[in-house]
Amino acid sequence: MLSNVLIVGGGLAAQRAAETLRARDHRGPIRIVCAEPCAPYDRPPLSKELTATGFRPPSWYAENEVELLLGRRAAGLDLAGRRVITDDGSLSYDSLIVATGAHPRRLPGLAGRPNVFELRSVADAVALRSVLVPGARLAIVGAGFVGQEVAATARGLGVDVTLIEAADVPLAHVLGPRLGGWFAELHRAEGVRVELGAGVETALPAVAGAPVRSLVLADGRSLEVDAVLVAIGVVPETRWLAGTPLAGGVVVDAGARTVVPHVLAGGDVVRGCEHWEPAARLGAAAARSILGLPVAPAPPESFWSDQYGLRIHLVGSAVGADAIEFDGAGRSFAAALHRRGALVGALLVDRPRELPVWRRRLADALSQPERNAA
Amino acid sequence: MTLLPRVDEFSCCGHGDCAAIAPNVFRVDEIAVVTGPGPDDQVLEAARACPAMAIEVTDAETGEPVDL
Repeated sequence: MLSNVLIVGGGLAAQRAAETLRARDHRGPIRIVCAEPCAPYDRPPLSKELTATGFRPPSWYAENEVELLLGRRAAGLDLAGRRVITDDGSLSYDSLIVATGAHPRRLPGLAGRPNVFELRSVADAVALRSVLVPGARLAIVGAGFVGQEVAATARGLGVDVTLIEAADVPLAHVLGPRLGGWFAELHRAEGVRVELGAGVETALPAVAGAPVRSLVLADGRSLEVDAVLVAIGVVPETRWLAGTPLAGGVVVDAGARTVVPHVLAGGDVVRGCEHWEPAARLGAAAARSILGLPVAPAPPESFWSDQYGLRIHLVGSAVGADAIEFDGAGRSFAAALHRRGALVGALLVDRPRELPVWRRRLADALSQPERNAA
Repeated sequence: MTLLPRVDEFSCCGHGDCAAIAPNVFRVDEIAVVTGPGPDDQVLEAARACPAMAIEVTDAETGEPVDL
């Protein structure tokens, strides 16, 4: 059956879906339609290295008969007609994979200023990189992983960096106060000013479209800046799904199926899917579901961050952990996270070879909840 | 030993889970490489554990891909 698969979006989930379809002998057309002008690329290096490289050499797409429709933005979805409306005509499908990712949250007063940046695309990374010269004063609003990685990269380029975070501890909602505090100290030791419990009250001059010269914080202090990065999280890109049951949020099962027949989804557009591994997994799962193949259960999820030459891994979850057991200290440790006596996750700093060990321990713990929940 | 693993070099992130599970089959430097054959159960476990889903497994007798 030569079913016609349309993939909207050009990130990791889209790439993995296309690859899995071809690897498992899908012979029908595969089209990837993407608003960005370049072939699919991997996003983690954007904040780690301020660059990006394509997943595959450009020739791969022609060799595998995956058609790239670049620079075309999805504008609507006609479920009854099984077609996607783009800014340059409509595209029909038998199966649709929604993989439009997410767009950065913006701050009123800072949007539209020439020296205010966000970091989501390779174009964003190139623009930001161009202003990170030695001695430049960069304020980063938001001390999540993206903000922290850029802070580390910018320090390496000789930039004067201030991290501004609304919460009292960075990453508190992900790692809890104790481990989050370790990250604040890491950046301070590397010469970053870390302002916690802080927010931007005003950007001066308060003239729309003018470069920002200083940020006034909520406590009245003023911070002179040459550039500002806003890194306060992302919002799933569902605007083009208005009028469909997916408009309020895209939810999928393990096989990447949405509530709408013939519509699957993967990557950051999916609620609760905000890291590299689940994006890759759901992209492949979408392809397998289209082909009628089984989808294997996922091992415990991990993600990584690179800062100041340290490889940092979180496997499992730190949310709700009530006890932390440290092995090591300083800039090389494994922190085992427990909840009610059961292992729920581990944060590894400069312990890359221990990741598989902890992932297996966690898989074992999760497969025996009744024994460990005592 | 009828299952043959293959690491997709573009997908591998070098996490090292495969080599921890099947040290005689995989070696991980920057990315994983297959160094030799190994027990089928280890090959399957390693492929299933790969966080990047970068390991494909083929049945050497039939030449067919194996579902993980």
